[in-house]
Amino acid sequence: MPNVLTVRGLKKSYGAQHALAGIDFDVRAGEVFALIGPNGAGKTTTLRIAATLLTSTAGQITFLDHDLCREPDFVREKISYLPEEAGAYKDMKGLDYLHFMANFYARTPEEEKEFVDRAVAITELGDRLATKVGTYSKGMTRKLLLARALMTKPVLAILDEPTSGLDVLNALEVREIVRRYVKEGTSVLLSSHNMLEIEFLSDRVGLINKGLILDTGTPAELKEKHAAKNLEEVFRSSLR
Amino acid sequence: MKRFANLLRKEIKELATKQLVVSLVFTVVLFNFIGQVSKKEVQKAVGIQTISALDQDGTPASQALIKGLESARFKVLDQSGKAKEQALETARAGESKLLLVIPKGFGDSLRELKPSEIETYSFMRSFSLIGARGQVVVQGVIAALNEAVSNDFLKEKLPGLDPAGLKKPIRSRDFVVVRDRVAEGSANMVAGLISQQSMLIPIVLMMIVIYSSQMVISAVALEKQNKTLETLLTVPIKRTSIITAKMLAAGLVGLISAGVYMFGFQGFVGGIGEEAARAGAQDGGAALMQKLGLTFSTGGYAILGLSIFLAILVALAAAMILGVLAEDLRSAQSMMMPLMFMVMIPYFISLFADLNTMSLPLKVFVLAIPFTHPFLVSQNLYLGNYGLIAAGLGYMLLVFAVLVVYAAKIFSTDKILTMKLRFGKKKAAVA
Repeated sequence: MPNVLTVRGLKKSYGAQHALAGIDFDVRAGEVFALIGPNGAGKTTTLRIAATLLTSTAGQITFLDHDLCREPDFVREKISYLPEEAGAYKDMKGLDYLHFMANFYARTPEEEKEFVDRAVAITELGDRLATKVGTYSKGMTRKLLLARALMTKPVLAILDEPTSGLDVLNALEVREIVRRYVKEGTSVLLSSHNMLEIEFLSDRVGLINKGLILDTGTPAELKEKHAAKNLEEVFRSSLR
Repeated sequence: MKRFANLLRKEIKELATKQLVVSLVFTVVLFNFIGQVSKKEVQKAVGIQTISALDQDGTPASQALIKGLESARFKVLDQSGKAKEQALETARAGESKLLLVIPKGFGDSLRELKPSEIETYSFMRSFSLIGARGQVVVQGVIAALNEAVSNDFLKEKLPGLDPAGLKKPIRSRDFVVVRDRVAEGSANMVAGLISQQSMLIPIVLMMIVIYSSQMVISAVALEKQNKTLETLLTVPIKRTSIITAKMLAAGLVGLISAGVYMFGFQGFVGGIGEEAARAGAQDGGAALMQKLGLTFSTGGYAILGLSIFLAILVALAAAMILGVLAEDLRSAQSMMMPLMFMVMIPYFISLFADLNTMSLPLKVFVLAIPFTHPFLVSQNLYLGNYGLIAAGLGYMLLVFAVLVVYAAKIFSTDKILTMKLRFGKKKAAVA
């Protein structure tokens, strides 16, 4: 499988503080690659660099063989990013928000309608889309944002803690939606604290701690390599 | 262009809220209401006023004084035959603004050319300046009578000589020189008329700058507070377009808001200032200004407009940077302070000080504030200092360019997410 995203020796520093100390990983076409690690490990920084929000201090990151730092506009056309603590414009109606976001990607009104119809189906919010986003629950807002991220069928969806703050049922729905879109061709780079979620969603996993990738592989490979029952034990073992 | 229009539409919708429309309508209604009430009060004050007169003298001279007041648009209620205390009580209970007491012997003293006394009792039922106007007019009438009586005396004693010439042997004819033009008039009058003409410029500028800047700062701070900024920065639209859309939307909404505000303000000022303006025109002020070339041509208005426009651009670009520093809508309010000061300093200097008489360091400081220059444009246009005007416009353009480039740099680098103003902490927060 060709790489959608290739990361080599990626470093990011804020003065004397090193958020990333030189990491390597790939996201292959049609797979879900997950970064797992504790708070402050460098997950969000990696995702933000991949989403063209931050620039790296050193190293290389390429998207479909295009240098991400040199061609951010090209990358933004083909990716979508869902930040962990994302919000939507509270005074906008749900449907208006989807139209507003679709308008940035669609080349024709027909394509915009196609994007919005797809998002409406993902959200399953029905008539509530005609009300203001400010009145939505956290779960509803998260689904709206996920629908926004997936409606264009991006080449790469970057999802930071996609089920953060959601109840069990909403989290399950979100995971199913992500898996469905991966089957339709979207690659996913995500981060999560939730190891169970990672096992369910990911094709491959990168264990990250203190700005370094400790290990990568499929959940099965990693469990076998570390003789562990689950990814939590894998992570503990890789820290030693 | 389609993406830019999409973003611009959203920015305008976000700024032009129902609350803004309601507050603007309220402002206009309130200002007009105050203006109308003030207008009525002014009309009352300058219209026919009721006073009481107690003529204890009853001579032709005292009757002439009362006649003089009647011809000066006073309705005089005669209190003759009453004791002073009684007349005072009656006048106080009625609508009279003033009681005039002409004591016995007033006419005789005048005839004998001895100083004569009259008493006035002003009833202060309110403490407004307009309320005290009645006494001023009475004093004017008495001054006119004094003039007439003393003229009669001089004519009688020194026949053949002009009493006016005797009383003021030295007369001055005042001329005002502006550049190469000379006209007869007083410098005070010219200064007064110029300040009246350009009174609205600083107020307009202040309103637009404050409204627009607040909108830009709020627009950026709101994106941060609602956690929508990160998403917006990853959609396929150029960062410069994001800045431009936010600035343009704030500029447009700010301009309209300030326009509506000024319309209301005009209703307020119109109520009070109409009479004064009418008086100025009657005194030949307009002709004097015309003679001295102290009127704006179309080109002058264009230069003034350009200067205000550049000041708005500078304010918007500065506000964009300040908005990035704000963490949320609440901290955005405090970010307005530096801009407010930068507008207030030249405003107060234009009211109370003269830039030409300032010390060099203070002058440099004031001129370094870009918003000073629009305040100076009208003065420099009158005086033909086109070099200073061009320098001011060039300086504002330069400041705008520097600020825009810096704002664009912030938006296209990590700074947009990492730059925060946190007092008491050394380092900026990072992801």
